[in-house]
Amino acid sequence: MKMTKIYEGSHQWLMFGRDENKPNDIIDTNQYLVRTASRCLLIDPGGVELFAPMLAAVLHYAPVEEITDLFASHQDPDIISSLGLWDQALPNAKLHASGLWEGFIRHFGCESIEYVPIQDNGGVITLDNTELQVIPAHYLHSSANFNIYDPKAKILMSGDIGAALEEPGAPIFVDKFEDHVDKMRFFHQRWMPSNKAKRAWIDRVRDLDIDILAPQHGRMFKGDDVNRFLDWFDALQVGIAE
Amino acid sequence: MQGKSQFVAVASIAAELSDVMDVAKEISLAAANAKAIAFRAGEKAKGFQPITDFINELAKETIGLVDAINEQAIQLYQLAVNEYKMTAASNTFDQVNRLAMNAAYASSLDSPLERVGQNKLECRKQFQNHVEHLLEQLGDVMHPARAARVIAANSRIEASQAGEYLQSLQAVAESVDNAASVIHGNVQRCRSALSIISFSD
Repeated sequence: MKMTKIYEGSHQWLMFGRDENKPNDIIDTNQYLVRTASRCLLIDPGGVELFAPMLAAVLHYAPVEEITDLFASHQDPDIISSLGLWDQALPNAKLHASGLWEGFIRHFGCESIEYVPIQDNGGVITLDNTELQVIPAHYLHSSANFNIYDPKAKILMSGDIGAALEEPGAPIFVDKFEDHVDKMRFFHQRWMPSNKAKRAWIDRVRDLDIDILAPQHGRMFKGDDVNRFLDWFDALQVGIAE
Repeated sequence: MQGKSQFVAVASIAAELSDVMDVAKEISLAAANAKAIAFRAGEKAKGFQPITDFINELAKETIGLVDAINEQAIQLYQLAVNEYKMTAASNTFDQVNRLAMNAAYASSLDSPLERVGQNKLECRKQFQNHVEHLLEQLGDVMHPARAARVIAANSRIEASQAGEYLQSLQAVAESVDNAASVIHGNVQRCRSALSIISFSD
């Protein structure tokens, strides 16, 4: 499991992914860790197959007892099917996820971890002095779906929005946006069901100051590529199965 | 403990118990029929009348025991799931431990590792205790089944003195005997399945 530090300031953002030992038949995922003075938030911790390499990788940067919070952008297995194992590792942690998905996500095993339901209009997760905003991204792609925005680091963790289906070992950041588009088109047209929902999300995030847009699959976008992505997504018709 | 064989064994026990319950209800019905026949037969089936009450009691006792065992079997399934999950978690944590050998915070894994290991042992202990308890309860079901076979033999003797009611009462005795034999067989299979999982490690 590779680690890339994407923000270093009063707190840190670490991105984990491109696991060389991942089974070929499961989709590659990006996991993010926000580390403050005494707490860590693990964003979209990943599938059950990924638990061992993921926790082992995190232990290079934080002790188990400081992983106090988990966040699941939605209910999919590649996002949170490792929950039952985190439940064993972190009995005092909190899981922040949609209230709508609670009864479903609990199927993965959530007996010790406290499930903190997120209301439809989002909210705030506070880690020491760092406030992270929970931004609604419903129907993109899941019916109850959230992103995490860090106004200080100017990072938007966008879940499946901006995701791309890549070859193993793909670079961490988009280098040539025009070439990257082909890797995203099918994913967005097929998995994102609603142009109306897409429009609402774009209006919402255009107001945010974003340096890095960090999806759960594929490469991250930084600098001007963030707006390039928003323009491209704005123009794309979604909800298409051919 | 082998997860798959455990689940299959627990599921097969539930199926066998469901059959035992059906057969016990059949005995109860046979007892009611026998009582009606014995009543009609009057003096000719005088010896048969108390036997019908006894058959009914045995059926009721079997139904009560199987009800209790069914509840235990459901709990056993939950314990099998817990034990399977804990064993899988423990194996995964061992894997994390190997992978994180050189990590700066590897030692912070000690406490979760120990906790998961203890949970696994506790689940295994609970599962095995439960299996032993269930084996005892299944042994209890064998008693009414054995008694029913003795009663069936007595019923045949009494039926032979019931004149024109001979055939009807013999059919009752036959039905009780068959039912008891089926229950005996099913319960034996449950016990064998349980014995296998209680000793597998």
